[in-house]
Amino acid sequence: MRIRKYDRDFSRRVFMEKSLKGIAAAGVLSPLWPEIAKSGTIDKAYPDELLSIELYTKGQVKPGDVITADNVDVVKDLLDPIAYRQVKEMGRRINIVETTRDVTKLFPHEYLEATLRNAGRARFDANGNVVTDDGSPWIGGNPFPNAQTGEEAFYNLTLSWGRHDESVYAVRDWDISPNGTLSYQYDFVWAEQNTVGLVAKPSPYQAGAEDKLRYQAVWFTSPTDARGTAFLNTWYYDQRKFPDLLGYLPAFKRVRNFPTNQRFEPLVPGITIFLSDAWAAGDPMLTWGNYKVVGTKPHLGAVSGNWTGKTNANWEREVHGGPNGQTFFEDYKELIPEVLVVEAEPTGYPRAPVGKKRVYIDMRNMMFVSYLTYDRRGEIWKSFEPAFSQYKDGDAAFMDGGHPLWSWTHVHSHDVQSNRMSRFVQAKQITGGFGPEYNIGPSIYDRYLTAQAIRRFGT
Amino acid sequence: MERLSVRLARAVLSYRRLSLFAIVAVTAFFALGLKNVELRTIFTDLLPKNHPFVQTYTDHPNFGNPLTVTIMVKRKDGDIYNPETLAKVWDLTRDVDLAPGVDHDQILSVATEKARYAEATPDGIDSRPLMEDHPPRTAEEIAEFRSRVLKSPNVRTFMVSEDETATLINATFIERLLDYGETFEYLDDLIANARDDNHEVYMAGQPVLTGWVYFYQQQMFGIFAITAIALLLALVFYMRNIVGVVAPLITSIVAAIWGFGFVGWLGQPIEPLIMVVPLLLVARSFSHCVQFTERYYEILHHVKDRRRAAELSLSVMMAPGVLGITTDALGLFIIGVAPIPAMERFALFCGFWALILIPTNVFLTPLLIMLLPKPRNVDRMVGSGNPESGYRGIRILLGLIGRLSIGKMSVLTAIGVATLAVVSFGKVLDIKIGNPVEGSNLLWEDSEFNVAVANINAHFPGLNTLEVVFESKSPDTLDRVMRKAETVLTMHRLQHLLESQPNPPEASLSFADYLPEANRLFSGGNPKWAPLDHNDAAVSAAAGALMVGTGPKAFLHVADFEQRNGTVSLWYKDNKQETVDEALFQARAALEIIGTEFDDFRIRLGSGTIALQQSINDTVDTYQWVILALLNVVILITCSYAYRSVVAGVLLLIPVNLSNLLLGAVMVEMGIGLDVNTLPIAAIGVGVGIDYGIYLLSRIYEEYQLRKDMAAAILTAVTTTGKAIFFTATIVLIGIMPWYFLSELKFLADMGLLLVMVMLINMIIALIVVPLLVWLIRPRFIDSKKLLVSEGIDLSALSAETDAKAAAPRANAAEAARHREIDLNEMALARP
Repeated sequence: MRIRKYDRDFSRRVFMEKSLKGIAAAGVLSPLWPEIAKSGTIDKAYPDELLSIELYTKGQVKPGDVITADNVDVVKDLLDPIAYRQVKEMGRRINIVETTRDVTKLFPHEYLEATLRNAGRARFDANGNVVTDDGSPWIGGNPFPNAQTGEEAFYNLTLSWGRHDESVYAVRDWDISPNGTLSYQYDFVWAEQNTVGLVAKPSPYQAGAEDKLRYQAVWFTSPTDARGTAFLNTWYYDQRKFPDLLGYLPAFKRVRNFPTNQRFEPLVPGITIFLSDAWAAGDPMLTWGNYKVVGTKPHLGAVSGNWTGKTNANWEREVHGGPNGQTFFEDYKELIPEVLVVEAEPTGYPRAPVGKKRVYIDMRNMMFVSYLTYDRRGEIWKSFEPAFSQYKDGDAAFMDGGHPLWSWTHVHSHDVQSNRMSRFVQAKQITGGFGPEYNIGPSIYDRYLTAQAIRRFGT
Repeated sequence: MERLSVRLARAVLSYRRLSLFAIVAVTAFFALGLKNVELRTIFTDLLPKNHPFVQTYTDHPNFGNPLTVTIMVKRKDGDIYNPETLAKVWDLTRDVDLAPGVDHDQILSVATEKARYAEATPDGIDSRPLMEDHPPRTAEEIAEFRSRVLKSPNVRTFMVSEDETATLINATFIERLLDYGETFEYLDDLIANARDDNHEVYMAGQPVLTGWVYFYQQQMFGIFAITAIALLLALVFYMRNIVGVVAPLITSIVAAIWGFGFVGWLGQPIEPLIMVVPLLLVARSFSHCVQFTERYYEILHHVKDRRRAAELSLSVMMAPGVLGITTDALGLFIIGVAPIPAMERFALFCGFWALILIPTNVFLTPLLIMLLPKPRNVDRMVGSGNPESGYRGIRILLGLIGRLSIGKMSVLTAIGVATLAVVSFGKVLDIKIGNPVEGSNLLWEDSEFNVAVANINAHFPGLNTLEVVFESKSPDTLDRVMRKAETVLTMHRLQHLLESQPNPPEASLSFADYLPEANRLFSGGNPKWAPLDHNDAAVSAAAGALMVGTGPKAFLHVADFEQRNGTVSLWYKDNKQETVDEALFQARAALEIIGTEFDDFRIRLGSGTIALQQSINDTVDTYQWVILALLNVVILITCSYAYRSVVAGVLLLIPVNLSNLLLGAVMVEMGIGLDVNTLPIAAIGVGVGIDYGIYLLSRIYEEYQLRKDMAAAILTAVTTTGKAIFFTATIVLIGIMPWYFLSELKFLADMGLLLVMVMLINMIIALIVVPLLVWLIRPRFIDSKKLLVSEGIDLSALSAETDAKAAAPRANAAEAARHREIDLNEMALARP
């Protein structure tokens, strides 16, 4: 029997109260994170109305339904303004799936274990960086699983982007023009290796690289005129410092230093993503400021059921919508009981064209599900909307070692002012034969993350 | 058998309530459309869509930067290299980024990250913004900044003036998000605040021009209000009775509701600049109404019965009124043949408005006359009352004019008119196409916008470009032609050829220009690495290097986003016709040598202000004559049919064409050329002239039918109908005159001046030449009794009848009841 007290209005009252008081503590009926630590599920932290889209919408939308322009108004309060506009005006469809209650499906296994293991040990040092209770660099997992502030929530995003010690993503990207035609198409490899906060190693630190946070490289394998172009970032643990940036253009046979503080420019021609946009935390955290929690609310996010390994040999996706029927990927969203809405301003960039960013963070795993940037007039500029999933569909699965992989599957990056869409997938294989690799150990460094490596790929 | 006009007149007035209800219902329908009326400028709609230059522009709208605003900061007492000026440029740049509708990726100044200094160092590429994260403040920082500017050739040419006293801020706007009024207001405030004792700030660009037009809209409506008041006062002064004032007012308001409601229902925006023509149509509505009421007064003076006078007036005036209005409307519709979308909409809107004057004016006027009180000053209005009346003076003047066309004077007048025609023809041969000014001809030469354009042109390559477009032939959207060797080499060859001419452009720029520098930097920095190898791999690599740390948006002025199409931009010192002709001649000659068709691309001439100006001039040149020819054909057909005589058609065409010729001669004398603004003037002028001609010719015909005395017929026509013509032309002149003296919008002043001349010339020519031609030719149709245009009335017979009735008050009720049926038949019988 349902307790009437816990109806939808009750949840709304709780969220409103939290927002007004600036409280970020997750959970409506009981604190979320202790519940996850105890049972691995979120059932007791939220009322049924926040765990079921059908109950939330009073039966108007249920798992298996498709959100279109005809019924999007029913879930308008569960979408960010751009996603709503995409469905309402541009023909986007959103498939609805059940809410994930088992949080182990929302994390890489080792990362969740580290989060649980290290809970409560994170502190801020005098400079604003996160350290452990003994003053050391962070030791793995989300430092603030029950984030209370915007800064805490953002450190969960910043300190480990992909939540594996090593990740190699094979990415296939399509850039769609305002009239719906294909403007650019790229295949590229994205490799990242954390040097602190390691979760699958005996030590949380890579010896000799404790002052770093990560190495990250991107190199292009297609089209021909971009093949071999590569960039290598070396991130410092100190979030006040800009990363080092090396670049290699195969035609010129030299690895070059590039300016690194120009982070509001597209990564490559035609793409809408800035360096600043990576993982909603593409800049050193302390180069931004005025972090603040602006609210908590339920939200529709693509966090499960998005792996297409069983239906598409290369993990690519059906497309639809827009003027030529190819602007959006088919994707699957679920009702997230609670997201934290955090805003920040680019205080360290006197010339930034961005006024602020607003990030919607899933309270269950502290991963962002939607990210908007606004221009300095306060008009919405871009939306960066990722989709995540456990890479398991029935009997088909892709493993990151001993467990089914949890990772991102695809992204929509939409510049709504110039109406250009970049959408990309994590593919099984791209031009050049590259495919995804996870937790592959220190060899990733020599293979992908040195000046010699990026030069080698260009030859 | 009664004529259709008689039956229609009787029906309309017999079923007054039904007729009024129908007009009120239609008015209500159109009134509902008023809420959709939108005044908006669509820049592309002002261009002739079929012209190859405009098609090139439409296919590649970003080349030539039509949506770019250019702001120039000029230091009055030195160069820009001082903390105050550089801080001002920094602040302005940041504030421009806050402008509504701005593309944040397309703001360029020496303070943006896109203006870079790049240098190869042993460690790599040192590519930094010219300014660091703050404007230079110390002497060292300023010296460093200046040295970076000097090492950046494109910045040196296009961003900082040669004398180092001025610098530019360019911002491109997203058309979909651009509200010209709002953006202009924001930017205008910005530059007003940036001006001080040491700095002048200028702003130009198409969005700014449109902003100024929007700004002056308020003033324009103010001037229109003055015009409306002037028209009303003239009407009050002339008529001095309720009917004469209220009837034209109501009919004009109803016509305006129908006209605006029509475009509201069509959902088409109205170009603010063409609002002058609806105002003219209001004046025309007044004119037709006054013609009608004048005739009504005349008849009322004789019959003394309002209802009967209204019915008779309608039956008499219907045919010439409908014919005049129809030719007016056809003239306006014909403007739509000019393939300029704004003109097409104009033609539809104004043509419709002109046409609806038939129901809202011809039929509504007698209905209103029936509703309104009988005027008390009829005797004075027809000039038979108080001998001191000013109206008698007008009659005397018109009598003198009438005498110019009859008797021996007619020969002298004919010689004078013929001489005038020959002289005018000689003058018209010198008429120029286009009204080139530095900036825009819509505004005065000393307007803030045109002064800004002049100053920017004086300090930089300027704002007058000719774009030679290189266009991909491949349907594959991923085939990037701009990254191919043949494209880049051809661009360089074209630039080389043009810059080697005796009168080369001020500057040229293409995507190809950026590549050698990128090649040099990424190859290690030695100048020897600047030249590109002549193969696709080398060009593509240089293009790839160019894009590092930036994106295609930074180069949209020279290559499109997909880098499939590009342009060679050529800057010229001004947009005078000689410069435009020379620029196009040189470009065409160079393309003759180079060729325009290649395997991967074709070269199209062209876009930019130079080409678009030429496209408008070409169109005006062609369609001015096409419109005039079509007008002649339409008038010849309708008038020949109405008067059952081709001679009548020709006879009416001669004065309107003569007026047009005179107008051309006056324009030559005043130094005004033919342009898109004058395009509708000829049609409007012909419409006005033909109206006058028809009313006058019809009256001459009527009078001749009654008197069989040509001299008397002409004199009566000129002193009666001529009076209405004189009055309507005069009140329109009074209404339009303020446009010339009050408007800060040169377009409105020019239109005002031209329309004043049109009204004046047409009035004089109609009053002299139409009677003269009738007198000299003595056309046979004057004797015919089967014309559509007139139902003659013997006013003296009507008077006699009225007097008889007054003398026989015993007339019984039965006779009175029969009265309605017989009155118009009596008129027919009364004719000799």
